[in-house]
Amino acid sequence: MTEAYIFDALRTPWGQTALYEVKPVDLLARVLEGLQRRQPELDLKQVDDLLIGCVTPTGDQGANIAKAALLQAGWPPTTSGMTLNRYEASSLEAISLGAAKIRAGWAELIVAGGIESMSRVPLGSAGGALGFDPGVLHRVDYVPTGISADLLATCTGFTREELDAFALHTYHRAVHAGEQGYFHPSLQPIYDQNGLLILDRDEWRWPAMTADLLQAQSPAFAELGALGFDQMALHHFPAVEQVKHLHTPATMASSADGAALLLLGSQQKGKALGLTPRARIRTATTLSLDPAILLRGAHQAAAVALSMAGMEPTDIDLWECHESYAAIPLHCQRMLQIPADRLNVNGGAIALGAPLGAAGAFLLSTLIDELERRDLNTGLATIAAKGGMGVAMIIERQ
Amino acid sequence: MIHYKKDTDNIATLTLDMAGVSANIINHRIWEAFVPVLDHLKQEKKRGQLRGVILTSAKKTFLSGGALDYLYQARDASEIFESAERLKQFLRDLEHPGVPVVAAINGSAIGVGFEVALACHRRIALRDDRLRLGLPEAEMGLIPGGGGIIRLMWLLGVAKAYEILADGRRYLPHEALQKGIIDDLADSPKEMLLKAKSWLLETSEGRRPWDRPGATIPGGTAHDLVIAQHLREQSARLAAQTHFIYPAQRAILQVLSEGSKVDFNTACRIESRYYTELVLSRECKNMIKAFWFDANFIRTGKNRPRGFGKFRPRQVGIIGAGLMGSGIALSCLRQGMKVVLKDVSKPIADRGREWVTQKINALVENAELQASQAEKMRKNIQTTDDSSAFETCDLVIEAVFENQAVKQKVTREAEQYLDEYALFGTNTISIPITKLAAASIRPAHYVGLHFFHPAEEVPLVEIVRGALTSDETIARAFDFVQAIQKTPIIVKDDWGFFAARVQNTYILEGITLLQEGYPPALIENLGRQAGMPKGALELADDLGLDLVLHYEQQAAEHYGPKYIQHPAVQALTKMLTTLERPGRAKRAGFYQYDSAGQRTLWPELTAHFPSQNIRANDQEVTDRLLFAQVIEAVWCMQEEVIFSIAAANLGSIYGWGFPAAKGGVIQYIRDYGLAKFQHRCNHFQQAYGQRFRAPKLLPKVATEPEASI
Repeated sequence: MTEAYIFDALRTPWGQTALYEVKPVDLLARVLEGLQRRQPELDLKQVDDLLIGCVTPTGDQGANIAKAALLQAGWPPTTSGMTLNRYEASSLEAISLGAAKIRAGWAELIVAGGIESMSRVPLGSAGGALGFDPGVLHRVDYVPTGISADLLATCTGFTREELDAFALHTYHRAVHAGEQGYFHPSLQPIYDQNGLLILDRDEWRWPAMTADLLQAQSPAFAELGALGFDQMALHHFPAVEQVKHLHTPATMASSADGAALLLLGSQQKGKALGLTPRARIRTATTLSLDPAILLRGAHQAAAVALSMAGMEPTDIDLWECHESYAAIPLHCQRMLQIPADRLNVNGGAIALGAPLGAAGAFLLSTLIDELERRDLNTGLATIAAKGGMGVAMIIERQ
Repeated sequence: MIHYKKDTDNIATLTLDMAGVSANIINHRIWEAFVPVLDHLKQEKKRGQLRGVILTSAKKTFLSGGALDYLYQARDASEIFESAERLKQFLRDLEHPGVPVVAAINGSAIGVGFEVALACHRRIALRDDRLRLGLPEAEMGLIPGGGGIIRLMWLLGVAKAYEILADGRRYLPHEALQKGIIDDLADSPKEMLLKAKSWLLETSEGRRPWDRPGATIPGGTAHDLVIAQHLREQSARLAAQTHFIYPAQRAILQVLSEGSKVDFNTACRIESRYYTELVLSRECKNMIKAFWFDANFIRTGKNRPRGFGKFRPRQVGIIGAGLMGSGIALSCLRQGMKVVLKDVSKPIADRGREWVTQKINALVENAELQASQAEKMRKNIQTTDDSSAFETCDLVIEAVFENQAVKQKVTREAEQYLDEYALFGTNTISIPITKLAAASIRPAHYVGLHFFHPAEEVPLVEIVRGALTSDETIARAFDFVQAIQKTPIIVKDDWGFFAARVQNTYILEGITLLQEGYPPALIENLGRQAGMPKGALELADDLGLDLVLHYEQQAAEHYGPKYIQHPAVQALTKMLTTLERPGRAKRAGFYQYDSAGQRTLWPELTAHFPSQNIRANDQEVTDRLLFAQVIEAVWCMQEEVIFSIAAANLGSIYGWGFPAAKGGVIQYIRDYGLAKFQHRCNHFQQAYGQRFRAPKLLPKVATEPEASI
């Protein structure tokens, strides 16, 4: 069978405020232009498709931003574009879909990734039946992800201290990685139309996080829970006395603006165009569980991806688990017995924030850069997504 | 049927006056009568001879609904849907003569009656506190079917419409004005017509807001994030409060959410579809059964001893100015009665009056009471430490400390001043009336009046017949309870009477589950999620574990050698004796209590009642918690502790909060299905013991037409 390879991975810096002035279509177009610069030998006419994850595809990000960005970047009209939404796992899904097309032989060269300008198009502004339609809310007893994360932490018996400690690690690792330039290989600075720099490094929500500052934070979801969502969670878990609100704004992913892309293709196409494979996609999987326990999707998907590859958790050199809430990577770590020094080694969304539609592409670009830097081989990226879903992917360095 | 009169200003007045009935009831006859009238109005408009229309009534009510008998029977979806659509078409025609229409509301307009008023361009009501206005359909598990949700949404916005519809209150005219569901008040019928006319003379717009191009719903639609978020929050709130047991409020949220995004007529059709779903729902049938049929059964005195004239108490004496006594006082004052509130000293009695005054002030603030009435109520309460003040009372109720000697002492003190007709009521929870009556010099006039906490809110009173209580006393007690707008149920002088006895089985079953190793949180959550107001263990703590045990000991005494000990007795004894955790009063029971009174399950509970981590079947736990009550209620009927299905159903809903969506504790069996229920009883009996044995009367109460039992 044809294998799917990753030839390149790049992203904008993650912006907290600096990228607010850049319209989403430009964010994506600039990364496309960046790809051209990094791969000067790449014949754009050979790119079959641009698959873009976007969680709030409305307004500036509405309809099909992938095609709009291709045209805005001046790519030839021969590349198709598509936007897809699998919540937090959108870009990981886009990459998985791209890989599947290549493995099936229905495409040879694909760019896949994600975009989210959460400052321009706030989460929730696209509405949607899951979350806003009273009938659906009641039918499925749907609770927001934050409540679900607190429920997971409650059921698993995590303490506030454990979540804070995990987050502190993430902050320290991310700061260290940033200072050492570990993210540098993938970063694509953003300039304005005059060539003036807007942002060339990730912006920090908490540049100097401390244990005290973490401890000082108030629970993020106590009020939401008191509105009634706690009771709804207990409909699913009646043996729990009450949902403990353990996550704070500092132990969950913050909003961010940014876009990220991977260049995928078959070995043959790569050879023909003179592209060097950086990694091979071994397996990818998508699954779905009870929405109230949505956050278990990450470790479940990882387990399935491993078994598809005939691998054990110990076969994975580096893990990236999306940090939407601290309980998720912690839970993943516990369930799969991942050594702490192999999981999210350069921090994650708790420290850096996450442009939701690009969260998966970030995990992969970080994974590839770090595998290369440490000269290791195998990496696994996994994401729990709203609605009970989980997406995981295993890559192998070439 | 409809009187038509047009004046020289070309203003037509339509007066509803159905022949042969005391009230105007909306039905096919009215619609048919309207057809030629509406046609005529259109002709007049065409000829340029119509400026406006006033719709009013010749009866004491403006217009009432009253299709509940039909809705209870209705089983055919298309028929229900069509009937809603026909009503809507009629109301559309009514608001479409091309000229403005004013509803001059001279009497109560409730439900469909108010929907007719909503279909007029302006609503003016008489400032008369006998009037009630509103859309209370939700209390029967229903929603308005004539476009009421959609009109209210267009007039007031999504958020306000939900508040009014979900609340389902019957508003006084001034409240209705404050809420915005009417536009103006008038002090007399004459002023009302003048106001209507002058408005018509200065208004030319004949279209409703939703029929004008470009018009928008005030505050926005569910497309807008603010509204969408509001609906989401209300959905969560509703889920937390009712656990999805009551479908009407859910339907209102859905109709508002969906209806705000489409045009008026489409929104109306969406409303009809949800309306149809609700009419067909079991919850709606159960609630109509309880709050219409059973309530009528009680209201019309089917359980009241016959042959005694109506008792109209004007002055009520109350002994004990605690929360119970003060609550009873407030209930009496609200119905215009005078109250003498006595306690051991005047300052203590004054504390009761102070509490009552605060409650009255709060009612005024909430617009539930007018300042003038409040003033009268404040004047109608006097306090004393002297029983001679009871001389002019028609009825004296003691609500003192639960102690036989104290109760008998205050009875004797009061009785010497009572005339030979006055009633004496005792508010006890666990002392037999016959025992207490032994100290009375007029035991035939002595009766148990069991109010529930908080007495000013719970709409139920158990009337307990002692061995010597006369039929006339029962009849008069019944009249008194009705006079304070509460539901009277007559019960036998057995332990716990009806409500506390049946409620106790819920608690005991919860404790048994704990003993079997079910996680305590599971027991509590499943109880609440089944629609009970509190978890079984929570309730035990509130009542006090000694009282829970005491009731069961009284049962043991009652049944003698036939008594089979409830498995919960062992756990109760352990809690009380070994662990010394008697309940909330000592801040130590199944729960622990922090300094603010907040409770969390006692962490050591699972050490003393080791959790077996049983998660076999949540439904089984839920069913056991409810079946225990239902079976006990059937025993109460069999042992003639209570005398009608209606009384048992309403007693259960009002008395201890048995889920209204199930229609009450006896209706539960019909709702569940008799055969299925019996089968489940057999299973429970084999698995958990004799207490789940079905009483002989079970098939009868589940199948007989309610009026005959």
